[in-house]
Amino acid sequence: MSLLDRFTDGWRKYRKPGYYEEFDYHWAMTIDLDKCTGCEACVTACQAENNLPIVGEKAFAEGREMKWIRIERYWEGEYPDVKLRFIPMLCQQCDSAPCETVCPVSATYHNQDGLNTQIYNRCIGTRSCAVYCPYEVRYFNWNDHQWDAPLEQQLNPDVTVREKGVMEKCTFCIQRIRQAKDHAKDDGRRRVRDGEVQPACVQTCPANALVFGDRKDPNSQVSRSMNDPRAYRVLEELNTDPSVVYLKKVDAKG
Amino acid sequence: MSNFAVGLFREPQSALAAAGTLKGAGFATPELMSPVPLEGVEEVLGEKKSVIKRFTLFGALIGGISGFVLAAGTSVLFVHPTGGRPIITIPPYLIITYELLILFGILFTVLGFFISARLPAIRDRVYVPEAAVDQFAVSVACDNHEHFKRAESILREAGAEQVRDMAEDD
Amino acid sequence: MPTETNDLQYADVHRDVIRSIVETGPQYYIALGTAFGVTLLCFFFPWSYQLYYGIGAAGMNHPGVWGTYLASFIFWIGLSHSGTLLSCVLHLTHSTWRKAMYRSAEAMTLFSLMVAATFVMVHVGRPWFIHWALPYPNQMEMWPNFRSPLLFDVMAIGTYITGSSIFIYMGSIPDFAAVRDRTTGWRNNMYALLSMGWRGTDREWHRLHWAYTFLAVLIIPLAVSVHSIVSWDFAMSIVPALHQTIFAPYFVVGAIYSGTAGIVTVMFVLRKYMDFGQYITKVHFDNLGKLLLVLSLIWTYINGIELFTGWFSGASSEHEALRYKLFGYYAPLYWEMIAFCAVAPLLCISSRFRTSFVPMLILSIAINIGMYTERFLIVGTSLSRQYLPDAWGVYVPSLVEISIIVGSLALFVTLFLVFVKIVPSVSMYEVKETMDAPKPEPVASPEGSPA
Repeated sequence: MSLLDRFTDGWRKYRKPGYYEEFDYHWAMTIDLDKCTGCEACVTACQAENNLPIVGEKAFAEGREMKWIRIERYWEGEYPDVKLRFIPMLCQQCDSAPCETVCPVSATYHNQDGLNTQIYNRCIGTRSCAVYCPYEVRYFNWNDHQWDAPLEQQLNPDVTVREKGVMEKCTFCIQRIRQAKDHAKDDGRRRVRDGEVQPACVQTCPANALVFGDRKDPNSQVSRSMNDPRAYRVLEELNTDPSVVYLKKVDAKG
Repeated sequence: MSNFAVGLFREPQSALAAAGTLKGAGFATPELMSPVPLEGVEEVLGEKKSVIKRFTLFGALIGGISGFVLAAGTSVLFVHPTGGRPIITIPPYLIITYELLILFGILFTVLGFFISARLPAIRDRVYVPEAAVDQFAVSVACDNHEHFKRAESILREAGAEQVRDMAEDD
Repeated sequence: MPTETNDLQYADVHRDVIRSIVETGPQYYIALGTAFGVTLLCFFFPWSYQLYYGIGAAGMNHPGVWGTYLASFIFWIGLSHSGTLLSCVLHLTHSTWRKAMYRSAEAMTLFSLMVAATFVMVHVGRPWFIHWALPYPNQMEMWPNFRSPLLFDVMAIGTYITGSSIFIYMGSIPDFAAVRDRTTGWRNNMYALLSMGWRGTDREWHRLHWAYTFLAVLIIPLAVSVHSIVSWDFAMSIVPALHQTIFAPYFVVGAIYSGTAGIVTVMFVLRKYMDFGQYITKVHFDNLGKLLLVLSLIWTYINGIELFTGWFSGASSEHEALRYKLFGYYAPLYWEMIAFCAVAPLLCISSRFRTSFVPMLILSIAINIGMYTERFLIVGTSLSRQYLPDAWGVYVPSLVEISIIVGSLALFVTLFLVFVKIVPSVSMYEVKETMDAPKPEPVASPEGSPA
């Protein structure tokens, strides 16, 4: 291969939008709003799994709570004809994520699994990713957090405890994904089976409103769920190409 | 060791005239020292050309190329897919190119200035402190005493208030 | 052109300017001591606390993750925009009225850039790793992300600081040489080093002229690019009310506007306390006043356009952002900004106003207060009202932030006070250039007078 060919090949490769020819996995989630009761079990599960700090009353009032997944609550209509809506909001793992391009130190990028990853060690805390994120799901460590005894005993050893000045967000429980991949490799399988890996929120949801899986596998539960006619994506007009799909709540007429 | 006849003038016109006469009388090109940039030096002592513009152009070109190579090259060395963009993204890298073009343009201009103005001075040179205040000095190299006498008379004739005999180490 | 300098001789200029450097009264030390004390107390002390505690010491929260620190950063970058830029433009257009004021204007550029750079350190969560934003080979084999508008900032501001310090230095070399001859001791050594053996020969002047002109030509587009890039930090996001194409010109005009007002303030102070009354005259205030008027009109126009495009988009998020800006929580600040930056400068229509010093000082300070508010509003109102109503919120600066803002002003003053004692704050050779050169005396003695 001549030098020129190598150059043009490289050029073509590096000029390709999105860079990846294909993702290894394409993790995705669907959230069925018809099933969601707004119980916040997912919020608690996430807190336990991902070593989220308990910020305390004062910081909460200041608007500094850490919730990688939160339940947004909206009222629809005027009293007395009023309806309550819930939307669980977590990092949408956008394939065209605005937050990724803005980080000056490359602390966030798109990985081979189609995940939007955050590298805590590299983060210098410019907080620009949080501004650029239209879903407001990036959380900043305003100060160091403490886990009063015996709470420190429940910290998850698979997840880093973040220091002050670092941005963090939902990872789709990447530590579980890793583990599942390792198991698949140990068992001599090429791929992780559908349903083998579940983030803490999905695992906990009592109403089974959350479904997680590999979008590349057309038979996976999440792929089938994404083809539901009720499916929509939040703020789709912004072209961020999210990996989280919501299934619209359908009200009975009458 | 070379000797110089340095004449001090009150007003720029007579200093310029003296410089012109000296040059016409076969002396080496005299040097003018003044507190402000003088107008009309080129009419008397001949046109001046500086190499600074070449430095600026060269620096800007180097900067522009290195800016793009820096941005594109490091993204290839450290592949880092973000936001669904290609690895080599042209429009943002043009901004880096632009900034480095200007940075290197500036740095090379300064380099060109120092080289062509022969600064910083490595050895002592003929200097009259009055020329930084309100006097205009004309200095001309003289080979021997006779030479100096002739230069002195030309300078005095043109209106020099003082003529000094100064030496400069080679 | 400045008629009041006509009765001055070259030697007078020399004496006056050098006196401003070497003769230091108790007033100066009191001012310097106060400024330095306030810097320590209001800037470095709260900042150390914030470093220890975390950014939480400031009032920022979700969604207001950017706050006054970033607003101050833009403000100081903006303030830097008239010094060198204006000086370059006026140099290239051969405006003589520039000459007495440009040195201090350029110093303003340099020091406000330094303060702005400090605010980057104050703003980020982990400033001890700030060097990761620089492209340097490292053992981690990582490079910064050149796609990020924040990295454009790093490159642009790095270039700008380098460029403007070189520009001010190059313009000062002849003056350093002049001061060198009049000083003794450590000062003499310092100026000998700074002047690099400048003699003022025809060759040196010629080269300086060309180098200076090329620098000016390079710095004008640089300065415009710097504030455009700062605006892209915002405009490249998809936040309603920030994602606007008008932002680059908006920021550039705003920057020049607040910078020009800043120059008026500094001119006033120099004139009053450094006895430069003969060099900084009504002519300067008159011209700067005209400039302020034009800039305020452009600025007002762009503000109108910003509202119009927001409304015209028809997007509910844009409409909410607009409504919030005009009538929401921060609305009093918005109307204050309009009063200070759009209405008050109209006074400059009157030439009597432009040529009176104290009213111009008050106006210039009001404009900069208004411009600071503008930067705060860009950050504050836009982040408070983004797409998801659940994530709406307000952000109020904490005491630490306010103290750091005050302290940064003192830091700027400290740097400036140190500067006026090291660098001649009025360019001697250029002021001399504007004066009539000594004419041949009618009866010149042909013999001259032996020394």
